[in-house]
Amino acid sequence: MKFEILDISGDAGIRAYGDKCEDAFVNAGIGMYSLITDLDKIKEGQDIEIEAKGDSSEGLLVAYLNELIFRFDTYGFVGKRIEMDFFSLQHSAYYIKAKVRGEEFDPDRHERRLLVKAATYHNIRVQKINDKCEVEVVFDI
Amino acid sequence: MEILYNEIPAGVGSKGKIRLTGEDERKLLLNGARWAVERGYGAVSDLERIESGGCIEGANPDVISQKAYERGRAQQGTLGSGNHFLEIQHVDEIYDKNAADEMGLFHGQITIMIHTGSRGFGHQVCTDFLEVMEKAAVKYRIDLPDKELACAPFNSPEAQDYLAAMRAAANYAWANRQCITHWIRETFQRVFMASPRDLGISLIYDVAHNIAKIEEHTVRGKKMKLIVHRKGATRAFPPGHPELPDIYKRIGQPVLIPGDMGRASFVLLGTEKAMAETFGSTCHGAGRVMSRHQAIRQAKGRSIWREMEDMGIIVRSAGRGTLAEEMPEAYKDISNVVDVTHNAGISKKVARLRPLGVVKG
Repeated sequence: MKFEILDISGDAGIRAYGDKCEDAFVNAGIGMYSLITDLDKIKEGQDIEIEAKGDSSEGLLVAYLNELIFRFDTYGFVGKRIEMDFFSLQHSAYYIKAKVRGEEFDPDRHERRLLVKAATYHNIRVQKINDKCEVEVVFDI
Repeated sequence: MEILYNEIPAGVGSKGKIRLTGEDERKLLLNGARWAVERGYGAVSDLERIESGGCIEGANPDVISQKAYERGRAQQGTLGSGNHFLEIQHVDEIYDKNAADEMGLFHGQITIMIHTGSRGFGHQVCTDFLEVMEKAAVKYRIDLPDKELACAPFNSPEAQDYLAAMRAAANYAWANRQCITHWIRETFQRVFMASPRDLGISLIYDVAHNIAKIEEHTVRGKKMKLIVHRKGATRAFPPGHPELPDIYKRIGQPVLIPGDMGRASFVLLGTEKAMAETFGSTCHGAGRVMSRHQAIRQAKGRSIWREMEDMGIIVRSAGRGTLAEEMPEAYKDISNVVDVTHNAGISKKVARLRPLGVVKG
């Protein structure tokens, strides 16, 4: 697993890793989906495109995860695979454009885990450590 | 319980029975529980038993993002997940007979408690405005120890817009609980084949558990207008407070404090001491002692559902994980928490309610 779930009283968090920040962001997204349901039961039958922007790496991470949460909470879409079509952590543009593959959540077939309400700035971290990237985010549950 | 569970949408990925049009949603945001009553959900007489009459003035539908509208469209009349619940309970202890009489509570009386709020709509408002506030904090040069504490001066356009949006979310929550109240009554009528009059399911009170309001308080002997944030706190206004409806002017505002699903919940009353010492506020609930994951680990190999049944409590839950996270020992004992507020005088105990049946998201 390229992510781990963090134990926080009352809420839940994710720490995700990657060789590049792009990968760590992808893993954070998948990690978040795994809080919502068992991803083994999710099929890759549908594609959605998402966009997110921020004023900082951390701001972009929050905006991107909140976009995924919005798509789930509004349209029931759960992703299983995330492909970054465009990923920039440049000071001129913190921007993500991604394709998310998955399907619509069906309470009869899919496991119900946590209702993730929002990604927060609390103790948020986007960090490069020895050529690797590590991100951490706490969700409001 | 099975029928209630089927009638009240709950849990991750559940869909509400109401689909709001854009115009409907705007009206709902302006009018709160009044909107629900106009649509036939519940009775006009419910409104005086809801904090602020179920509608806070000053909501502005124009400051709400398209995303929040979309997210709120199908979630009206849904319970949600996490610590949100619906319980059937019985009164097993009366501490203040006079107040209990006024509220219509007596030993052995069946009560129903709903704990839910503004759902995804409120969260989208929060997400949207966190971004606005983050920029505002830079603009107004506010140094933040944690980005999550983003804020703006009260009179700035950013803060005023937020206040108008938060009020819309509060109205969404009051309407939500009103719709659920209505469906609970309908369900009881159907199951017991009785008329509303025979069943006599009347509202005791509906109080917000997470809101900011402009109120008048006395600070160092001077009357001042303040903005009181109650996050993890519940309003507890004393007898005679001008905000209270006539029916509760004499005894004070009913305060509802939910506990975990195995132990108890409490009805209390607001006091003068709360007004003097805690800006008319008391506690919110039990509070967790275990993180969600700790609770899930502890519950491994156990059937929480069965344990609850052995205690005489029927539980219906959408998610297996939710039950483990919400198991009684994951929380502090609510009786101790309530005793602290009672002994401190910031709210006083009226009745203890024991759960009989629980619906969890």
